[in-house]
Amino acid sequence: MAPKYKLTYFPIKGLAEPIRFLFSYGGIEFEDFRFSQEDWPKFKPNTPFGQTPILEVDGKVIHQSTTICRYVARQVGLAGADDWEAVQIDAVVDTITDFRSKIQNYFYDSDPVSKEKKKGSLFKETIPFYLPKFEELVKNNGGYFVNGKLTWADVYFVGYLDYLNFMAGVNLLEKYPTLRSLCTTVLELPGIKEWVAKRPVTPN
Amino acid sequence: MAVKPKLTYFNCRGSGEPIRYLLAYGNTEYEDVRFEDEEFPKLKPNFPYGQVPVLEINGKMIPQTLAICRYLAKRNGLYGSDDFEAMQIDAVADAIVDLRNAFTFCYWITPEDQRPAHEEKLKKQTLPFYLSRFEKSLQENNGYFVNGKLSYADIFFAGQVQHFSDNTKYDITDGYPQLKALVEKVENIPQIKAWIEKRPKTDF
Repeated sequence: MAPKYKLTYFPIKGLAEPIRFLFSYGGIEFEDFRFSQEDWPKFKPNTPFGQTPILEVDGKVIHQSTTICRYVARQVGLAGADDWEAVQIDAVVDTITDFRSKIQNYFYDSDPVSKEKKKGSLFKETIPFYLPKFEELVKNNGGYFVNGKLTWADVYFVGYLDYLNFMAGVNLLEKYPTLRSLCTTVLELPGIKEWVAKRPVTPN
Repeated sequence: MAVKPKLTYFNCRGSGEPIRYLLAYGNTEYEDVRFEDEEFPKLKPNFPYGQVPVLEINGKMIPQTLAICRYLAKRNGLYGSDDFEAMQIDAVADAIVDLRNAFTFCYWITPEDQRPAHEEKLKKQTLPFYLSRFEKSLQENNGYFVNGKLSYADIFFAGQVQHFSDNTKYDITDGYPQLKALVEKVENIPQIKAWIEKRPKTDF
């Protein structure tokens, strides 16, 4: 019997959206539980490390968004055909995570002076460092991140995009046609397309 | 692997050591390439995303510590017996990396004059938060992180712990008997013990 899945997260796309995309791609039913910001202090102590998203698999709790994505990717056949493909996917995913972390580090800085300084470095160094590399990687791999075919690295990136754009305050892919094309491809995938049409609408 | 893999990292233990432990565990012959801090700016452009460690396998550079660890884990029976166990192991490794990121922020990013407050927080809050949870996992899992048997998460922790203690200037496993026992257990695995005895001696 298929496991019962419950995903718990804030009422946003954020770090959970790639997980929701992957479940939807695979046609796997899951409970998409969202707690309100005010309720977070109540839920926090019940999580393994005070963080979400968490995924319950038949009641067993797992934390760490990327790890959860990898598990769901395996269930839906997007984790690569062998260990070699898998490690290449993992390496791309971790690099996307690095990029996301740097944007988060800027966005969540509560000190306006420090934040302004980080903005400079984000737009002058970080974004121009990562996005051209991603663009080239996808161009050199037949329109996908790894080995010319859809893997969870592609879904992970596109699943994050609204959140990344929200934090950066710009349309990050404006100058990157290959990445924009990948984005379109992923958003048109059966399962994901339906999810995007019916999901709660949130800015981030 | 047809050609000897090549690991490239700073001349220190740091994030490279868990990988070296896993390579030792698998009796994998490899080139252990190290460079000094001053050489890094010159070498940086050679790496896929300007970061190390990278493991070169059959001529292709794979970046990202955890991606490399997971690949080696799979090849050496250290990745659990099914997808769910694999996910549990990955989640532990991710949590260890979160702790390592806190260390990096405190000791390697924060300017020295601002360090005392961050160090206080690390030692009084962050470390106990993570270590008490890790200790509990070991208590509940017969001395290992997941399901009572050795996985790459155990080796990853043991490979990292000295680096943590080098920064705090005390053994961070003091007061955590299960963690201390785990480190000792891993360090006494014959192949790893042999590596520890012959490895270059470095401060970090």
